[in-house]
Amino acid sequence: MNNNTLLKKSYPYLWLLPSIVLMGIFVVFPIIIVFKLAFSEISKAGIAGGFVGLQNFRDAIALPAFKTVMLNTLWWVLSVVILSTVIGFIIAMVLNQKFHGRKIARAIVVFPWATSLVIQASVWNYIIKYEYGNLNNVLLNLGIIKEAVNWRMSYQVEFIWECGVGIFVTIPFVCFCVLSGLQSIDGSLYEAADIDGAGFWSKLFNITIPLVKPSLTVSTVLNIIYVFNSFPIVYTMTKGAPVHKTDTLITYLYMLSFHERQKGPATALSVIGFLILCLCAGIYMVSVLRKEDN
Amino acid sequence: MKERTVIIKENRTSVIVLILAFVLICSLLCLPAYEFTSSIYTKKSGNTFVGDEKYVEVKAEVEAVAEEYRADGIEVTLNESVIERTNSKGKTTSMVTFTLDSSFTRSGWSFLGSGLTSSWLLLGIILCAALSCACALGGIVGSMGDSYNRLDARSASFRSASAYLALIAMLLVPVFFMTNTFALSRQVKLFTSEAMTEGAEEFYALLNAFLFDGTAGDNIASALAGLSFRNTYAAWGVLPCTFAMMLAAVSLRHGTIRQSFMCGLLYAFVIAMCIFILYPYYVMLVTGFRTSAEANDMYFLHIFPTEWHFENLKYIMGRGIPKYLLNSLLIAGGATVIALLCGIPAAYAMARMKFKGRNAFLGFVIMSQMFSPVVLLIGIAQLMSALKLNDSLLGLMLINAAFNQAFAIWLLRGTFVSISAEMEQAAKIDGCNTVQALIKILIPMAAPGIVTTLIFVFINAWNEYTISTILISTATNRPITVGITQFSSFNMIEWQYLFASSLLATIPVVILFMCIEKHLTSGLTAGGVKG
Amino acid sequence: MKKFMALLLALVMVFALSTVAFADDTYTLDVIIAQYGPNTQEWFLGKGMDGSNFVEKFEAANPGIKLNLEVISWNDLKTVADTRIASGQAPDILNLDTFADYANEGLLMPVSEYCPEDLFADFFPSFIDQSVIDGVCYAVPDLASARALFYNTAMFEEVGIEVPTTWAELEDASQAIIDFYNGEVYPWGVDMTTDEGQACFAYYAWGNNGGFVDENGEWAVNSAANVEAVNFITGMVADGFTNPNPATQTRYDLQDMFAAGKLAMIIAPNQLPTYVADKGGEVELATADIPANEGCTSSSVGVMDRIMVFKDEAEADQEARNAAVAAFLKFFYDPENYVGWVSMEGFLPAVDSAVGALVESDPSFEAWLGVLNNAKFYSTAKDGWDTVKQGVIAAEQAVLNGADAQAELDALQATLVK
Repeated sequence: MNNNTLLKKSYPYLWLLPSIVLMGIFVVFPIIIVFKLAFSEISKAGIAGGFVGLQNFRDAIALPAFKTVMLNTLWWVLSVVILSTVIGFIIAMVLNQKFHGRKIARAIVVFPWATSLVIQASVWNYIIKYEYGNLNNVLLNLGIIKEAVNWRMSYQVEFIWECGVGIFVTIPFVCFCVLSGLQSIDGSLYEAADIDGAGFWSKLFNITIPLVKPSLTVSTVLNIIYVFNSFPIVYTMTKGAPVHKTDTLITYLYMLSFHERQKGPATALSVIGFLILCLCAGIYMVSVLRKEDN
Repeated sequence: MKERTVIIKENRTSVIVLILAFVLICSLLCLPAYEFTSSIYTKKSGNTFVGDEKYVEVKAEVEAVAEEYRADGIEVTLNESVIERTNSKGKTTSMVTFTLDSSFTRSGWSFLGSGLTSSWLLLGIILCAALSCACALGGIVGSMGDSYNRLDARSASFRSASAYLALIAMLLVPVFFMTNTFALSRQVKLFTSEAMTEGAEEFYALLNAFLFDGTAGDNIASALAGLSFRNTYAAWGVLPCTFAMMLAAVSLRHGTIRQSFMCGLLYAFVIAMCIFILYPYYVMLVTGFRTSAEANDMYFLHIFPTEWHFENLKYIMGRGIPKYLLNSLLIAGGATVIALLCGIPAAYAMARMKFKGRNAFLGFVIMSQMFSPVVLLIGIAQLMSALKLNDSLLGLMLINAAFNQAFAIWLLRGTFVSISAEMEQAAKIDGCNTVQALIKILIPMAAPGIVTTLIFVFINAWNEYTISTILISTATNRPITVGITQFSSFNMIEWQYLFASSLLATIPVVILFMCIEKHLTSGLTAGGVKG
Repeated sequence: MKKFMALLLALVMVFALSTVAFADDTYTLDVIIAQYGPNTQEWFLGKGMDGSNFVEKFEAANPGIKLNLEVISWNDLKTVADTRIASGQAPDILNLDTFADYANEGLLMPVSEYCPEDLFADFFPSFIDQSVIDGVCYAVPDLASARALFYNTAMFEEVGIEVPTTWAELEDASQAIIDFYNGEVYPWGVDMTTDEGQACFAYYAWGNNGGFVDENGEWAVNSAANVEAVNFITGMVADGFTNPNPATQTRYDLQDMFAAGKLAMIIAPNQLPTYVADKGGEVELATADIPANEGCTSSSVGVMDRIMVFKDEAEADQEARNAAVAAFLKFFYDPENYVGWVSMEGFLPAVDSAVGALVESDPSFEAWLGVLNNAKFYSTAKDGWDTVKQGVIAAEQAVLNGADAQAELDALQATLVK
């Protein structure tokens, strides 16, 4: 009897076991190493020394570019996550309609996702070149502009381009999360609403959004994390130039670690980023889970 | 069954719009549609002078040239611009640029007889528009007979024809613009730079007749050299007109204007979206099949390569790309299988069972994602070398599966939660155990979520780059993302190979997606969903 | 979908089984080589190129040694090297531009322990000097390149100007070019990107008798000469004499512009003519000395990369390891292989024995070797070079955006002497 309850109690954990083992080995172990490094002295080549307490964190916060980079990261995450969610949602709604060529349209929406970020960023870099960028070439030929435009006239504009590419590559992710949520909505709900005389907006807010919310939540939380940690776009397009003014936290710490060889502060920065994410995503998640339990 | 009069009444607006739009197009074509500007002659004075002898001398020279042109009947205006600058050392330099400009316009109709490629397109647009109007009228006339059913079918086919013709007319308009700007300026550039000589005589004759009414004579080549083209607003106005035509024609088929407008808007949105999304891929495609020289030619006026250079494909095949693609396929496929095998049970337990630490586990899963792999490189490298998994595809499969667990578990849990447990319970009563119920009932019903997860994990693993660079040390074990870095070296970036192979790397993902796309919409039966 | 999954599963299993390692008694050397040009990987590992397969040839000539050779792109090279070292998997042989940080941390073996004497004597002494810290040489050069001013001769003739030798002449010439082509041609190419900006600093600092270090060999990035140099080049940008986005336009962009006749002058490595030809450019070009400030001597800039060997305390038989490394170096620097390696991507040699054959194949090499002999090199052997390198780049970019050069360089100097 006793044995049986133990088995019953541990039964759900058996289902979790493969997942826990996989993540425990391949994700948690490296994370522990990072935490250990963050509190150790690290040489320029990356060899870990003794425990130094919070020294690395103090060095990191004292870095001159710290504030700029943090602000950039904030803008980067906010703009990319919000805009890609809105646009991705709209596209998902459209792709959920029935029309000729929907299969092809859906396949096309996958494209930005199906190309690695390094390449995607390289292509856009190539497109917005001033001298022989394809964008200038096409617009000139269409007669829309009269002379070539310097698409990268200042670092602010370059940062906007980076955000734009970020949005471009994130849309498919949001779109397919929402689409999978939209699939599980029962069509009869809309029919009932039609009979009640509900308009487009009221159907959107009273049926669609509440029912898509679970998948939207997943995509938003993960999106915040992925965008926060996204590295190739900024690194390929500007490398943070000039003077880290277009850097986000993750590219900055990469530059710091491998180009300037300040590995201590770089590791500390990564832990700081982790804590920020925990705070933001954590709060969001807890509130969502609470609501679900209620 | 509707009365004929009702049908005629419903269609009247559409037909009127169609005909009005057609008339508007015809009248727009009378206006100047194209503006040609040409700096046919430029002369720059040397350095450091204003209005001295040299200036007078150069100006006289330019005047003489202008007279020559005027004698040929080409209207030219002499412009001069003076630039004066003081450099940081305080020295003043100035210089005068003389240009002979000629600018003139041509109406849309004048293209018709010109014999240029675009004249055929214009003819096509006008014919399609006219036929569309005729068909619409025919559709009304068609419903005037006695045997209603047969005539209704005839009228329906008339209306369809009208809609499609209007659509063709609309799509031809941008093509017409592009032929005029790209193709013509490219031809001009090729002929005047003598890159192409075959057919030059006829081409010059055509343009001479069209632009200069045959007056340019032997000077035609130099007159064309600085030519630039621009669509005027009158030309752009044709586009909304054809759009209106299409809407009206579509509404003939679909009933209300509102419905067909929404339908048109939907298609317009989808087409615009597809064009925008495919734009970078167009760039990859045309760059990928250019020659090395053309890929970097900053003055290319042509929108497609002068010659499709398919040798590039052969070349990248010889540089190990197929092997890299295979590696990527194995890594991404393996990672997907592992991630789903671990993720589905976990998500099932989260959705269907109550136990302590459920939310803690969800939190743990999400926390495990909060470090970018870039940050974890050292730990991963240590771990993999300890497990003897570095330089192996299996190691990359496991790493990718682990890093995508969070998404798999979260999305699958959400999907499972939204599916009611009733059917599984019913299955269990019928004698299935939990695993059977999961496989037979829940997984087919959760297909959209599973397919989304599958695509997600596959794509993420397919695009993974940083960890692979660190872990893989044998060239033949590299995934495609790392493999293509061989085209960007210290000395040069071989854009054409880089883009050709990137394009190649996109194809398998899209094919996979096309294969499983139908599952995105299947599986759910009414009533099986919790409201 | 089921079939698809089953197929994938089967593939996974096959691969899991096939990754079992085989042990044998040959000695394996882990080598990391940088991707210099389009042919590098093919030369070492490929098939069908005229250079043939280096690894195969080496293993055939040295049966007891196996080469595990990787060719890694410059973009990832430092990341890969640092991560492997930090996780205890340092390669045996690494090809990189900098070495001082590794040497100072005691990770590198002194060259004398593995390099055969006759080979060591073959290296140009001025190159070897660049890799010496406290009297011990830690790395050997694998190749070099020299930079000089390239200009578009046709353009200079058309405008009617002479090649500038001083900064003032450079400004005048730039003005003349701007005026003549109505601003359609950029007179002067500047690359202040995060990858190569230190070169830009060096061109003007050295041309103004400044530099990274003072005459005692101490860091002196904030000297008056350096401040003037930074102000000069950022002034050129502000005057519109250069390409418009120096902070993000890489050397590839500049070289492409030069090849297309959109840039009149560029400071570039000796491979530029080959590059231009590869890109289908038809510009006529000639070289000249890099302009210096009035009263200062022009100096050319040499860039050199190195091969270094890491210590491996865990290896039981150090003798055998040293012998294997020596065998690799001997085979690599053998003129039969080395000439192919250097000329393949148009670099300049680092050993004397290769000069004869190279000059024979391309006479222009001789002139470039002369340039290289008078060239200055970066202070890569000094502790803190990486900080200096990124620091001067950041300073340039900051000044470009309106910061004060003196303040920026002072701040950098302060972090160095701390």
